[in-house]
Amino acid sequence: MTEPALKLEQVEKTFDKVRAVDKVSLEVDKGEFFSLLGPSGSGKTTLLRIIAGLETPGDGNVHIGGHDVTRLPPYARGIGMVFQDFLLFPHKIVSENITFPLKMQGLPPSKQEEQLNWVLSLVHMEGYEDRYPHQLSGGQKQRVALARGLVSRPDILLLDEPLANLDLELRKEMEVEMRRFQAELEIPFIYVTHNQEEALTLSTRMAVMNYGKFEQVGAKLDLYNNPNTRFVASFLGSPNHINGQIKRVEDNIANLDWKGFDLRIPAPAHANSGDDVDYYLKHERIHIQSPQDSGSVKGENRLEGTLRDIIFKGQHSDYFVVLKNGQELVVSAATEIPSLKIGHSVEVYWPPEAGDAYLTEGKVN
Amino acid sequence: MISFWKLRQSPNFRFAILTMPGALFLLTFFVLPLISILIYSFWRTESYQLIADWNIENYKTILTQKTYLTFIWRSLVMAVSVSLACLVYAYPVAYLVAKHGGRYRLILVLLTAAPFFTGIILRVTAIQQILGPIGLLNMALQTFGFEPIQILMYSNVASAIGLIYLWIPFMVLAIYLSLLNFNFELLEVAYVNGAKPWRAFVEITWPLNWIGTAIGIVLVFIPTFAAFVTPRFLGGVNGALYGNILEHQFGATGTWALGSAMGVVLFLICLIFIMIIWRTINLQRSGYTGEEL
Amino acid sequence: MAVVVPKERVVITIQSILLIFLYLFLYFPIFFIIFVSFVDNTVWPFPPVFTWEWYERLWIMSDFHVGFLNSFLIGVGTGTLSSIFAASAAIGLLKYQSRWRGLFAVLYLSPLFVAGILIGISSLMFHRNVLGLPGNLTSAVLANTPQTLSFAFLVILAQLTRYDWRMDEAAMVFGARPARCFWEITLPTIWPSVLGAFLVSFILAFNNLEITFYSVGAIATLPTIAWGTLRHGIEPELYSMAAVINGLVFLILITLFFLIRLGFIRLGYRGQ
Repeated sequence: MTEPALKLEQVEKTFDKVRAVDKVSLEVDKGEFFSLLGPSGSGKTTLLRIIAGLETPGDGNVHIGGHDVTRLPPYARGIGMVFQDFLLFPHKIVSENITFPLKMQGLPPSKQEEQLNWVLSLVHMEGYEDRYPHQLSGGQKQRVALARGLVSRPDILLLDEPLANLDLELRKEMEVEMRRFQAELEIPFIYVTHNQEEALTLSTRMAVMNYGKFEQVGAKLDLYNNPNTRFVASFLGSPNHINGQIKRVEDNIANLDWKGFDLRIPAPAHANSGDDVDYYLKHERIHIQSPQDSGSVKGENRLEGTLRDIIFKGQHSDYFVVLKNGQELVVSAATEIPSLKIGHSVEVYWPPEAGDAYLTEGKVN
Repeated sequence: MISFWKLRQSPNFRFAILTMPGALFLLTFFVLPLISILIYSFWRTESYQLIADWNIENYKTILTQKTYLTFIWRSLVMAVSVSLACLVYAYPVAYLVAKHGGRYRLILVLLTAAPFFTGIILRVTAIQQILGPIGLLNMALQTFGFEPIQILMYSNVASAIGLIYLWIPFMVLAIYLSLLNFNFELLEVAYVNGAKPWRAFVEITWPLNWIGTAIGIVLVFIPTFAAFVTPRFLGGVNGALYGNILEHQFGATGTWALGSAMGVVLFLICLIFIMIIWRTINLQRSGYTGEEL
Repeated sequence: MAVVVPKERVVITIQSILLIFLYLFLYFPIFFIIFVSFVDNTVWPFPPVFTWEWYERLWIMSDFHVGFLNSFLIGVGTGTLSSIFAASAAIGLLKYQSRWRGLFAVLYLSPLFVAGILIGISSLMFHRNVLGLPGNLTSAVLANTPQTLSFAFLVILAQLTRYDWRMDEAAMVFGARPARCFWEITLPTIWPSVLGAFLVSFILAFNNLEITFYSVGAIATLPTIAWGTLRHGIEPELYSMAAVINGLVFLILITLFFLIRLGFIRLGYRGQ
């Protein structure tokens, strides 16, 4: 059984009485594209910096490639890193920027050039060797930053929200490229972001982080379809948020009173009558039809409402439905359904298990 | 009529109106005087009068007679040593204030600059009070039964210390201002990419701040090379520098033509030094992106 | 987040020691002289025997009052000329795009790179022989102004770069001609830096020796008096004079400090 590429054991970091990273443990293998997803202040950047050696943990161990690097300074860890603002050296040309880590390792110039050429063709930046960073566009700077991170074929590559400063189209392009690099090179990527779409697109495995702790770790589809905690459910997929009180629990189904509507939801563990519950329903899990059609099945929740607006999203559309109880639901469905017209009545339906329900424990985020 | 109004409104006109008065002043009272000593340097003095008898005797004297060359050499050595000493000392200090000074940065830096304003005489007096033969240091040593430190009294070392005392604020200020605009995060990038702290300094900090450092070096070199007050009082018998004999020409001997020539030589040497430093400045290599100002 | 890699703590400690020692190096002589100016046994003032004698002697020194007044006048004259020229140039340079900008900036900063004594002797000869101006206060002011002008220029420039020129555009839209705009909008905003430039020029000219000595003729200024006295060896009156001048400089610097703070507050923090 080979050592994991990255291993964190009970890593902890406190700043001024605030637990930025709270006893985090993790193992990442060579072939993984691992995302650390969380809102700002969740500790994900701090954790990344601890892995890089830019912060020393208060407690816990960091192992990279099988070696305990916890006490080692950043320059002794053999890692690569891509920073949010690119942070290319303004006074060095592209080739010098990229070969910098090799120069620090003392590689002979011929070897440096070999690696340089290899990585330049990888990121499609051949011909730019003699440019200065300020002569490059945002996307080009990003590629150079990536090249610098990869050129020495490090044990792991750390990425700190590298796509945050790019416009949408470039971002989409780079997302595809980065997945390709990671798969080709078999270097594990540790990718920090607050953008859940990005994390879902790029990673194989991910962790959702909040208040310094991992709320859930696992394969991305796992987190998306079976969120363990309220936070994960609310963070991924930007779902509809339904809040109400349990009226009755029977088998594994609870009846939820939602502003007058009676909904059937999967019963959260230890749920009792009278408990406050948050029910998260992803847009694409709800079905929408005009009242004449009938597609729903017994046992499913079925509500009537008026279609307030349709927002075209390209491959699908978001339908905004105002229900009879005054609440609003957003439904993602195919574009151009002729029977659905703004201002007219519609029907929405879904099975209870299409959403995730959790007891409301006070005010947690 | 219309074209006059248009002229008045043009940015170029406005620019000229605002900048020309000062420029004309500088041309008249700064540039022209310098040109005049160039002219006088080719004349000669007789009975305290400048005679327009064009010749190059003055330059011959300065550039061939051993005494003058010795003084030029001494001043050069002094200026280079003092500049280097100031550089080595000022850099870590400026670095500390720029990076870790926080909201006390302004005060800390102004405190290093403040003594500069008290004027050269006071400062030389102050240093002499400490380092001189009956200065505090030696009196303290004698009181406790030690011998006074010879090398600190009336020597080039004392002169050097005095000159450092006078001009180090310039170096600190120049480097500090440069470091203010330096992105310290780049050092983190260097560390992560395998650079040890000293390597990171050499590869990243030093080149990106070279322009400010160079300005500091020049600002210290020039007054040190031309110094005459400090060596006069601290330098002792062998401590006279080029500035002293230059000053001498305008004192008792009244040999203004020779003095002018000496002044021109002083100016040229400083100019050459500036040129040398200028050649080392490559804007791109200092991280200049054309964004500031 | 400022990274402090563990080894850096050692570096910071060393740097702090250097900084403290620098302050001691710079200030100890100054304070020692002030201390000694109040003491009878100036050579070895321990234990100190207090006296006002040196101040009394200073007061009755024949040239002292005259010297102070002359230095003051030179300072005021130089300060006024410098701050006006510098403010005008700084505004011109920053407000209007012109391809001559670089050239003018170099011109205005060039006096900083010329040794004081060179300015002194060249002014001496030029004023006397070409302009027919004898050594006097006017000559001294004219000779001091180039260098102080550069300093004043830098001081005003430093603050002016944070001035939002769009305010002037707004004023223009509302009918203000350039001169009016300056009076109503610009000057009220930047006056701290102009005053600061004046004070810096004042001090530099007040305390100047190398330039003033050659251009002031036989007229006494405090630095030339001190220079003359020093040539005969240190007299205790020098200490009290130093204390007085240092006190004056200190007052001016405090004012300067508050002006800079004021400048930051008024102009705010623009952009990054």
